[in-house]
Amino acid sequence: MANWTEASSKHLRSILSVDTWLPDTMPEYAQGFMYMLGSLTASSFVVLVISGIILAANGPASWSYNGAMRFVAATHFWGVQAFFFFMMLHLWRVFFTGAWRGGRGITWLLGAIAFIVAIPTAFTGFLINGDLYSQWNAVQAKDGLNALGLGWVNLTNSGQMFGMHVVVLPLTLLLLIGAHITRVRLKSVVPPYPVDDNQTGGSANGYKHI
Amino acid sequence: MATNTSDMVHDYRMVPEDFVKHLMSTLVIVVVVVLVAAALFSVPEAAPLTIQKDAIQNPVAFEAMATRDLNGQGRMADYGPPYNHGTGNLEFIFQKWVGDIHPLNVPYDFILHPLAMAASINPAITAPLHRFENASRTQQIAWANAYESALARGTTSTGTVVVPAGHYGPLPALMNDTLKLAESGLMSGALIRNPSVVTRFDNQNYLLFLEGTPMHTAATPLQLKGTQWGIIHPAVEGYPGAWWMTIPTWIYQWPFVASSPANDAIALSIGFVFWLFLALTPWIPLWNRVPQWLGVYRLIWKGYYHDYRNDTGPR
Repeated sequence: MANWTEASSKHLRSILSVDTWLPDTMPEYAQGFMYMLGSLTASSFVVLVISGIILAANGPASWSYNGAMRFVAATHFWGVQAFFFFMMLHLWRVFFTGAWRGGRGITWLLGAIAFIVAIPTAFTGFLINGDLYSQWNAVQAKDGLNALGLGWVNLTNSGQMFGMHVVVLPLTLLLLIGAHITRVRLKSVVPPYPVDDNQTGGSANGYKHI
Repeated sequence: MATNTSDMVHDYRMVPEDFVKHLMSTLVIVVVVVLVAAALFSVPEAAPLTIQKDAIQNPVAFEAMATRDLNGQGRMADYGPPYNHGTGNLEFIFQKWVGDIHPLNVPYDFILHPLAMAASINPAITAPLHRFENASRTQQIAWANAYESALARGTTSTGTVVVPAGHYGPLPALMNDTLKLAESGLMSGALIRNPSVVTRFDNQNYLLFLEGTPMHTAATPLQLKGTQWGIIHPAVEGYPGAWWMTIPTWIYQWPFVASSPANDAIALSIGFVFWLFLALTPWIPLWNRVPQWLGVYRLIWKGYYHDYRNDTGPR
């Protein structure tokens, strides 16, 4: 009993540590725009949550007939584009740098799950917009869900889609992104591959000077 | 489990970092980009296809669609789970497991019940409605089939659809009453009734009513159909769509998928396998070493490698 509680305490202490969340140093290789892509994705999520709260507080369809709400809806729409744009660039960066090395596989997996959860999160948003795009996609996409035995998710029920888009999916996404970022902060970002001109492998310290 | 760290360098410096500045910078970048895009381009919204609009614009085609709801040829009439016991869109065994949790009796829910409500305002509807309801199913289908065929030569005259003389039973009267109900704008309300609650969250029957010819006619010029890579296209030209769905949309275009009656189940299943491959990358032998072989990382860490090349001693 004591072992796992002590281990949990230790783990929680490192998760909740200021040093984890507000580091004052970073590895020299983790600099520049390539290392802003994850934060740009998370920042897009923050913009989506804030604009989404304003939209939800004013109620569905308000954005279709109120000028101010339409502007908020526009920020929400472009926020989604920014979110996926930066997430895709981030995905390319972490792939090309083999970011799962050094025991970071779960961090990668959490990111991949966040990606697949983000798709229905965005899709349910399109469905509750109420225009022809919503109408067409609700009717078309239902066949796929029905075929896979997920017919209880009724895309033509805008109440269910509102709940999914405003509560269920963003909260799930928030937890996944939170867990993903927590692991990134705890384990830091992956160091570079060892490189040597003859490609014969690393030296004793894992790096061969070139 | 011990972590293998032989595939990474261990010799690097830690450099000062203002992490709050980093986070604020990315937030400001996104906020500015999003506000500028919102101000310049607003948000795409294509006017929906309402039942009223479809009935007014295409009265003959509207009656043909409504007639197919009565003879069982409509898109939803024989769909299958989760709406009814049909097999028309039964793609996969899983589909049966959920049962008919969104029950839909197409002739009754789409046509006969709305007409019964309208009959309380216009009693002239009652006689043809009762004649149809009291006929055998065979007779109903025969009338509907004959009327549907006749609509190929249907015309409109003073707001009513007219077809060549034939044995259609009460169909001409019922279908013109349905057309009038739709043109009035009251049909949508009749389709989403729920006597149990005063809220109207479930638009199922309203949205499914137009499935088939009307929705496809509206979607085709906008390139929204599945065969047109529609999932990733916006309904308003010039705006970005859901481009992150490109891979599943591409799978839908594969000939053996596109021609399969279970295209949705197959495309989504293959798409899931693609995602699984991505998600399990760290644990897939060889695939997890591809980035090292590709060497793109040399560009990403160009500065780090350059610094080391010019470095003279350990750090």
